[in-house]
Amino acid sequence: MKIKTMALTSLALGIAFQANAGEVKYVLWDSNQLPAYEQCAVDFTAKNPGINVAITQSGWDDYWTALSTGFVSGTAPDVFTNHLAKYPEFAKNKQLVDLSELVKKDSVNTSQYSPGLYQVWGKDGAQYGLPKDWDTIAMIVNMDMARSAGVSLNELNNMTWNPQDGGSFEQVVRKLTVDKNGNNAATGAFDSKNVEVFGYQNPGSGGMMGQTEWSHFAVSNGFKYQDSAWNGKFYYDSPKLAETLAYLTSMATNGLSADFKNSQSLGADAMFMAGKTAIVPQGSWMITHFATNSTFDYQWIPLPVGPTGKRATMFNGLADSIWSGSKNKTEAWEWVKYLGSADCQNVVAERGVVFPAIKGMAEKAIAAQTARGIDSSAFLTMANSNTFLAPIANNGARINELVNGAIESILLGKDDAQDALTKVNKKVLKLNK
Amino acid sequence: MMSVPHSTRTSPYAYLFILPALIGFLVFYAWPAARAVAISFTDWNLLSDSTFVGFDNYLEMFQDEQFLNGMKLSGYYVLLNIPLQTALGLFLAVAMDRLTKSIFVKATLLLPYLMSNVLVAMVWLWMLDPILGIINALVDTLGLSTQAYLGDPDQALVSVAAINIWRHMGLVAMLFLAGLQTIPRYLYEAAGLEGASEWQMFQKITLPLLRPVMVFVLVTSVTGSFQIFDTIAVTTSGGPLDSTRVIVYYIVQNAFSFYRMGYASAMSVTLCAAMLLYTLFQMHIMRASESDLA
Amino acid sequence: MTLLNKLTPARIVAWVVLVLMLLVTVFPLVFVVKTSLVPASDLYTTSTDLLPRHATLIHYKKVLGMLSTEESIAAGGSGANFNISQSLINSILFTGIIVIAQTFNCALAAYAFARIPFRGSKVLFGSFVASMMVPGVVTMIPNFILIRDLGLLNSMAGMVAPFFLMHGFTVFFLRQFFLSLPKEIEEAACIDGAGPFVIFFKIALPLSWAPLMTIATLTTINMWNEFLWPFLIGKEASMHTLPVALQSFKSQTPQGQPDWSGLMAATVIATIPTVAMLFFFGRRIVESVQFTGGK
Repeated sequence: MKIKTMALTSLALGIAFQANAGEVKYVLWDSNQLPAYEQCAVDFTAKNPGINVAITQSGWDDYWTALSTGFVSGTAPDVFTNHLAKYPEFAKNKQLVDLSELVKKDSVNTSQYSPGLYQVWGKDGAQYGLPKDWDTIAMIVNMDMARSAGVSLNELNNMTWNPQDGGSFEQVVRKLTVDKNGNNAATGAFDSKNVEVFGYQNPGSGGMMGQTEWSHFAVSNGFKYQDSAWNGKFYYDSPKLAETLAYLTSMATNGLSADFKNSQSLGADAMFMAGKTAIVPQGSWMITHFATNSTFDYQWIPLPVGPTGKRATMFNGLADSIWSGSKNKTEAWEWVKYLGSADCQNVVAERGVVFPAIKGMAEKAIAAQTARGIDSSAFLTMANSNTFLAPIANNGARINELVNGAIESILLGKDDAQDALTKVNKKVLKLNK
Repeated sequence: MMSVPHSTRTSPYAYLFILPALIGFLVFYAWPAARAVAISFTDWNLLSDSTFVGFDNYLEMFQDEQFLNGMKLSGYYVLLNIPLQTALGLFLAVAMDRLTKSIFVKATLLLPYLMSNVLVAMVWLWMLDPILGIINALVDTLGLSTQAYLGDPDQALVSVAAINIWRHMGLVAMLFLAGLQTIPRYLYEAAGLEGASEWQMFQKITLPLLRPVMVFVLVTSVTGSFQIFDTIAVTTSGGPLDSTRVIVYYIVQNAFSFYRMGYASAMSVTLCAAMLLYTLFQMHIMRASESDLA
Repeated sequence: MTLLNKLTPARIVAWVVLVLMLLVTVFPLVFVVKTSLVPASDLYTTSTDLLPRHATLIHYKKVLGMLSTEESIAAGGSGANFNISQSLINSILFTGIIVIAQTFNCALAAYAFARIPFRGSKVLFGSFVASMMVPGVVTMIPNFILIRDLGLLNSMAGMVAPFFLMHGFTVFFLRQFFLSLPKEIEEAACIDGAGPFVIFFKIALPLSWAPLMTIATLTTINMWNEFLWPFLIGKEASMHTLPVALQSFKSQTPQGQPDWSGLMAATVIATIPTVAMLFFFGRRIVESVQFTGGK
């Protein structure tokens, strides 16, 4: 009911204040975060009387279609949650307000954000968003299964991996993979064609980012996407990536993971909650989801250490951007500033849904989650490991399409990893010549 | 082939009759379609101004593997979907006309259509999951080998077709039923008295007199099938391995993911032309404007 | 209406096939109901069971707005707002207006195409049919901009605009039926001096009761489930139609899972009005006057 009241109130106030209505329209997609931001809006209006924030939430599936239609027809919201994969196109087409001057004028402390987050939302001196939150990747383990298999938490927290024999990671996965006769994959009697529980499930192909699927394995193996952000010269044909993908494919061949074609409809998360797989990689934005839906004992663990001697995780962050066609840019900037300030991010941290971007906030969020019985410290461990930013370049959607197709064919066993990657990288390079 | 009624003051009245629909057509279909043709000659990316590029989009299109694949897949999908769906729908309609008048049967058969495309797709996604879905559980219990359905590049499009047949066969049945009910009963009675079998009556009475409805069903379901999108967006997103990247899916991708509205418009225009040609052909060979009843 | 009562082999086979098809039709629907009764904790672990182990009505309560946000999230929901009474009213208005207006406007045009010759009739009819072949992605943005220019965003008028005047499917369908009306009655009336309007209202329409009810039923179903346009136009929560409100049960985040049980419960609830309407119209189709001859 709150949104409706807010919307109606702001609508009414909007009418009262006529043309220069101090109303900022804000949209986001994650309904889990809605209560936190509604609170921020209330606090914000208390500090800035005369400016009301009307928040709308629409799910991920339709979010971008609605936004694009808004851009084209001139009815887009004033402020919206933005995503790294989508913003290059918007920036290129001048749909985003450049915040760099405003940041300077109001002396916004840009070093208060976790390293890299502010920079990745800028290009060539222009700034397109203020950082909102960050996420890393970890693995979630079914601890009931771990206990029956005799795998200790210590073992899980200290796994190593390499693409040749899978390291201690594969040893653990083998113990957790059980066939229909009760034999696990560490024994000789294991029947890889009749598996009941898979020790590990690779979520899928992952497109150009492979955020939860393969990025951590590949980078801990020494893989690098591009030399720097926005550089069109990608390295998808790297043997380090090929080895990684070949390894993941072999997990399915050996019965440690479900075949790619069997695990794409409802996906790895559903398999995990159904007790069909023991370990799944996921991002910190899913913490609440697993907390509410899991009916067994589970634990978040850090990703394994790779051949480079480090754990690696993609370090991603959302930001709030202002639409260049907004009629309330001044008010919108005040709201964006507030969203990027400690006041609002504190509120978000206390709700324990995501890790806000300002340094130190994540610890608060984790404390809030611990108070609810969730141990998410693994994500912090990952944040302090080798973090890398998501690849970013122009024509991202098409690159994503191409790379996704190549990786799909590798995981389906239709193509040799190195061949497929070499072919697709040529096409990717052509897009941003 | 009787001549038309002789009311001579028809012309001005005709325009009054068609006026509301004509306005709707011009404003909401003709005008956007004309705009789409115009846009197809530009490289408009939705967010900025467009520049004229002549026939570039069309030239690119005919060399674009994804476009040709998309058209091919859509055509293949129509072949998977329509014949079976039409036959089943026709059977059901005849059954509802000649076997049983039960409202329960009628309502039940139409229930799938009451759910939106998206909801139907989600329900089937849930049931067809290779590991967690009930369909494979049943298949396994029957001792058959389980399949990957939507996850298998060789089965995905067939699975999508099956989902759509499930949803639409009741609808097709209803359309045919409405047509069957315009066939005068005395024809069946007379044939029955002369000793004709059900099958003979079907061939000699039902089918010929259903012609206008049959044309309608074929044209609308083929064009509807050609434009399949929702089910694929929910279940397979064009994959796996592009096996379900039908033409409308590719068009929408170009418009809203790649921001190539000009190119998407060119493909839309081509698709539209293809369907028009098909329709003209279909209506011509089935002499759609006549009815054997009159 | 005579049904052949002889139990021929053909009829037995037909019955068997019919029953099979009824089972195939009904099974997924039963499964929808089953899934809507499963508690969140059992959802994934009992996904292949035919019956729920512990049935619960909590998802229906969620859909009907009877739970608080926290309770909703604890039951597997997303916590997004879902106001069923408002969206139900909007859906009824939206659907009702369109069905009545569209059926009437299209019947007028269809009758003209079938029975009133005029210049350009064939071309115009062809164009109306061709309108079904224009992919929605093409018409979406120009129509949206038009509605914005008319100041009708977030209004019922804006939502019904593209539908209430013309729909190719409806015109096509009704025209085929008007074609198959026997001409004798109309000619008789014409000779008696009746003009086209009188013939249309007093003869053609009443004789076409079955197809009119059929197309009205179909339009109702289609408009009841229409998502994209009301989603784009009716953005304020107060204007949401049922399908737009329902999207809060789909996955809210990238890589998130939908609230399956909530979705199934919402599907059941959203379908009840159309099922009720179906029974009502179904009876009307059966009871429609059967034309038995002109003399």
